[in-house]
Amino acid sequence: MTPLLALVDCNNFYVSCERVFRPDLIGKPVAVLSNNDGCIVARSQEVKDLGVKMGVPLFQIQQLVNQHQIQLFSSNYTLYADMSARVMSTLEEFAPSLEVYSIDEAFLDLTGVCHRSPITYAHSIRKAVFRATGIPVCVGMGPTKTLAKLANFAAKKWKMTGGVLDLSDQVRREKLMRIVPVGEVWGIGSRTTAKLNKIGINTVLDLAIQPSKRIQTQFNIVVARTVLELNGIPCLELEEIAPDKQQIVCSRSFSRRLTEYKELSTALAEYCSRAAEKLRRQRSVAGCITVFIRTNPFNQNEPQYQRSASAKLDTTTQDTRVIIATANRLLTEIYKMGYRYHKCGVQLSDIKPESSPGQLELFDFIDNGLHENRPLMTVVDQINRRFPKSISVAATGIDKSWKSKADRVSQRYTTDWRELVKVR
Amino acid sequence: MDQLLIFSASTYIRYPVKTVRRIPLPLFVDKVAAGFPSPADDFVEKTLDLNELLVQKPAATFFARAQGESMLDAGIHHNDILVVDRSIEPVPGKIVVCALNGELTVKRLDRDNGQWKLKAENPEYADIVIYEELEMVVWGVVTNVIHPL
Repeated sequence: MTPLLALVDCNNFYVSCERVFRPDLIGKPVAVLSNNDGCIVARSQEVKDLGVKMGVPLFQIQQLVNQHQIQLFSSNYTLYADMSARVMSTLEEFAPSLEVYSIDEAFLDLTGVCHRSPITYAHSIRKAVFRATGIPVCVGMGPTKTLAKLANFAAKKWKMTGGVLDLSDQVRREKLMRIVPVGEVWGIGSRTTAKLNKIGINTVLDLAIQPSKRIQTQFNIVVARTVLELNGIPCLELEEIAPDKQQIVCSRSFSRRLTEYKELSTALAEYCSRAAEKLRRQRSVAGCITVFIRTNPFNQNEPQYQRSASAKLDTTTQDTRVIIATANRLLTEIYKMGYRYHKCGVQLSDIKPESSPGQLELFDFIDNGLHENRPLMTVVDQINRRFPKSISVAATGIDKSWKSKADRVSQRYTTDWRELVKVR
Repeated sequence: MDQLLIFSASTYIRYPVKTVRRIPLPLFVDKVAAGFPSPADDFVEKTLDLNELLVQKPAATFFARAQGESMLDAGIHHNDILVVDRSIEPVPGKIVVCALNGELTVKRLDRDNGQWKLKAENPEYADIVIYEELEMVVWGVVTNVIHPL
């Protein structure tokens, strides 16, 4: 059977999340700022059209902001993580396997799933996600991940695709590759692009027609695999490329169904440890933790259940124990007896470099090799476990003076009873 | 590993021996005639979850806070919490949350001789007729109201 992979990517995800609860902002220029309100990290189409680039510092575009009344938001990761979980859980109903690639995109394995037209199927995915969550998405499809990514890029760029494009057909593929610059290909960074351009490889097609052997000697195995992938030969399994630094996800389907809280909690702790390891390996800290559990959506004979919960930490962390404790607390909130669980996972988001300034890093010394502090940490943790309020309250209290700037943060519409959206 | 097997009529539960001392046992308060097991035994662990009652599709379900009294006769009071399911088809007769000229509002969706209307459930509020120039998008269908007494 010919493989068919889809990349579903949310359009201007953070902006779209804000707009779900602020329909007055639809059609208006909206941008979301990074931590500390420093840089632009998400732009609505209107803001992109004004020429505002991704990642520019706010002060550089202050004049444009005033002139066009660009609506600015601080990052609301609690909201984005919850909306992301809703999107992913909706997507899971459409494919037997799915890789959450980042907070706003997922690969779906549609091989043998859409019996009639993949295009029709992709449109039904778009419709279902928008209906359930209010988030608009684009769907790119192809026999490989790289082609699915390329298809998604084109679906986003060209309105006449209706947000859906299938690159399974070779003629259509070539037509597109002829007009897309090679730098737009997944995994081809700016330095590789410069090198490729130097030897006359400018478009995607220029790269696709190269013998992969030669590319491997001239560049490396990654670029060589990309060449094969562009030709419809799958080299990348779901989950093979390291996930986006914006978030770390660790989840698994269980080999057998789990029913007990204890079993789930053990599995979850393992995923947390792995996610924390990844986090420390990339020298980062996380500020938001999401936990999700679900039964098998493909076994309709069984009672279905799925939930996710997120927590925004007052202090960013890379401490396995903090992450496990938080994840466990979230698990108790969503775990329900009597279901046969098929999958659980943890997602770390609001990820920043560990050296980022202005953060109170209470748990940081653990990983700085100061071993004499470990017993102290253990005591702190023990106290915390026995009297959760006492330590956390103090930490929260101190944290306030250090808290990163977030003057324009919207409500936590979906995770706090006091901040629900108001309807007249 | 040493395990203690506790058998009941149809199923058994495995507990590692180490933890046996700490098994919390449910206390049965109903009187039991000697020799007859309580018919309630099998149900002792079952709990009710309001989510089960109020939320059909978690991914598509949002909560909103009602403001004002325009839907009073439908049982929606000021500050009540609305359970809104976005995945339900908004057909005439349903109470919906919709974005009307950019503002979220809760009203009853109505269709009268082909004309779409948003009806308040309070005689003091006029119906809103959806003319072409009005921008109206249905946001979700209200399935339940949570009203504290």
